[in-house]
Amino acid sequence: MTKPRSQRQWLYYGLLLLPFGLIVFSLMIGLYTIPVENVLRALTSLVYPPAADGLSSTELTLVLRVRLPRVLAACLVGASLAVTGAGFQGVFRNPLVDANLLGVMTGAGFGAALALLLELPSGVVQLMAFGFGLFAVMLAYLGSRLYDTAPMIVLTLMGILIGSFFGSLTSLLKYVADPLNTLPSITFWLLGGLTGIVWNSLPLLALTTLGGGVFFWLVRWRLNVLSLGDAEAITLGMNPDRLKLALIVCATLMTAAAVAASGVIGWIGLVIPHAARLLVGPDHQRLIPVALALGASFLLLIDNVSRTLLPTEVPLGVLTGLIGVPLLIGLLRRSARVW
Amino acid sequence: MKVVRRGVAVLALLLTAATLYAQQPAVTVQADADLIPALEALIAAYDEPVAFAEGEAALIATTDPALLPPMGVAPHFLPGAFFVVNDPAAADFVEFAISADGQQALIDAGLLPASVTITDQRGNVLEIPQPVRRVITPYSLATYMVYGVDAEDRLVAGGYLGARTPLGIERMTAIDARFPELSGYVMNQREINVEEVANLDPDVIFTSARSAWLDTVAELGIPVVLFQGESPELLIEAMRITGQVFGPHAQARAEAWIAYYQEIVDRVVEQTSELAEDERPSVLIVGQEALRVVSGEMYQTDIVAAAGGRSVSADLTGAWNDVNLEQIVLWNPDVIVIVPYSNVTPEDLLNSPEWQIVSAVQNGRVLKMPSWVAPWDTPVPDSVLGVIWLTQALFPDLVDIDCAAETVRFFDAFYQHDITLEDAAAVCGAGA
Repeated sequence: MTKPRSQRQWLYYGLLLLPFGLIVFSLMIGLYTIPVENVLRALTSLVYPPAADGLSSTELTLVLRVRLPRVLAACLVGASLAVTGAGFQGVFRNPLVDANLLGVMTGAGFGAALALLLELPSGVVQLMAFGFGLFAVMLAYLGSRLYDTAPMIVLTLMGILIGSFFGSLTSLLKYVADPLNTLPSITFWLLGGLTGIVWNSLPLLALTTLGGGVFFWLVRWRLNVLSLGDAEAITLGMNPDRLKLALIVCATLMTAAAVAASGVIGWIGLVIPHAARLLVGPDHQRLIPVALALGASFLLLIDNVSRTLLPTEVPLGVLTGLIGVPLLIGLLRRSARVW
Repeated sequence: MKVVRRGVAVLALLLTAATLYAQQPAVTVQADADLIPALEALIAAYDEPVAFAEGEAALIATTDPALLPPMGVAPHFLPGAFFVVNDPAAADFVEFAISADGQQALIDAGLLPASVTITDQRGNVLEIPQPVRRVITPYSLATYMVYGVDAEDRLVAGGYLGARTPLGIERMTAIDARFPELSGYVMNQREINVEEVANLDPDVIFTSARSAWLDTVAELGIPVVLFQGESPELLIEAMRITGQVFGPHAQARAEAWIAYYQEIVDRVVEQTSELAEDERPSVLIVGQEALRVVSGEMYQTDIVAAAGGRSVSADLTGAWNDVNLEQIVLWNPDVIVIVPYSNVTPEDLLNSPEWQIVSAVQNGRVLKMPSWVAPWDTPVPDSVLGVIWLTQALFPDLVDIDCAAETVRFFDAFYQHDITLEDAAAVCGAGA
């Protein structure tokens, strides 16, 4: 069932534009009711300050300082997790992995738990999460260097080992944490959420997502070659090992920054690339941009539900599954495409 | 010669000491007629002489409530019967009379029951042999209840909330020199080592009804008293149960604490009852994070109500709830109170650009609840000070209640611990 080319073209560009429309929509909704006109005026005031005349400081602050950074963070985190998942699936030629394969999320989770246990300020929690995420992957990589043969298999194995090692360390921290204050903090953090996002939380995340996104965009064609296998890649004049290393470094930086900002949000890196494949096919030329857009849109949608459904925040980890699974099954039913 | 002379000298010294000892007057006690059998039982079991006397006695044993000291914290050896101590020399005997050994002597004399039957807060009926000499309290809040009923000498291990910081450790050690030893075990609602429990050989275990390990520990056959104290009524009940477990002295302490708690709440209610609903300040209690707030099912909500405020998050359920700033703006609390064990400081919120749209921040009314050791917002005996502090913070001009003076009084009465008025004032004023 091949759709006409023009229809696929529309779908492709529609998907790419989806996050932008969703961002504007997301800014309009919230527990505190702000008229659409006032939201638009608040946004306009970013470039044309007089537009804010007559708006209350509550409306201005909520739109520009609370909703906007959070909406952007949701997009950046979603895009990062989805595109790194797609990248890892290509690099490891395995559709069942995401960027956590080498332990970046469990490492970051441990870093954050350690910082929370030591009751360090939230900025340091983010930095520790980021740092330990990178550290875990570095350990896995260095461990795999001990062997000369089949580096990808060994790297995967080392990643799983390091991941479970940091997982155990996190359990240990939870065991010794004070059940009154530090334990709930660690548990909530590990569940993932964006409620504490302010502008200050964004720079690192924006840098890694934009930088990483551009990188993935530039290598999207090479990823196709890589998926064919190392021998084909070498025949075509590429150095697959160097490219894989670059992809892993880049994906790790992106994932670590995403986890540092939002806590551990699973599922997206694994499933969004598949959704993207269902929609535009396995060609990384289109898969990478669509994974970016779809990841951003999906987490934004989830986060909108999380922050508006109830007076309290619904944990993102709960919603990704509850909303994502029916969406994906719907997609599967509508599409006869096989990936 | 030298040796003999030295021997004589030692002998002489010993003789003098012995004579002095024999001459030392025995502790004297004057007792109501109906208390004489109990006193005789206690004296027989005590290893130093105690004599009955009329008038000028070091001790008076009585059932006359008119002789009860303020806050009712006299040493009780039988239900309703207590000592009035006129001479500090009698302190050791009093200590003995209210100890597990004293309780045993009275049980042997048939004056106290050999076991008590209690109903814990899960509704389990437990028969607990008396006296209870060894108790472990994996549930931290119960640890402070044991202190509150003056039975901490029966503790062998426990959890201590709020005593992890250097200051908390210093203060708790000052209250109880055995604190480092008692707190040296990993035990809480989630984790406990059953073999360690068996080694500690407790007569009773106090823990939360939500403890994860109840089935495992049940295998040991030790009575487990279950608590769930997230309301004033349940806290009062928990204190009463704690008192029952440890005998007449602890029971009297529990009643004294309950009377004090009710007196404070009544005083506040009396002074704030005139306020209409909209004159009561709306209060938001935030936890470890600024965006983590209490639910209506938590004890903190009751503290706000007792202090004459309105909790804005009373409709939430469960334990701590994560919310976002939009919800807090919708609630728009007049006052924000940060719990004592939070990382968040009032300055964090007062200096945050995002929080400027919340009424409490605009008016600078963001406070951190103080604590001495146990957090004043949790269901522990100390939470009465949480009510006092919050009342004073909410109604500095309207309500006549003095946090510093009450803190001194409370610790003197229920922890037998002296806090200077300056220290108490510093603690009470810390958050304001």
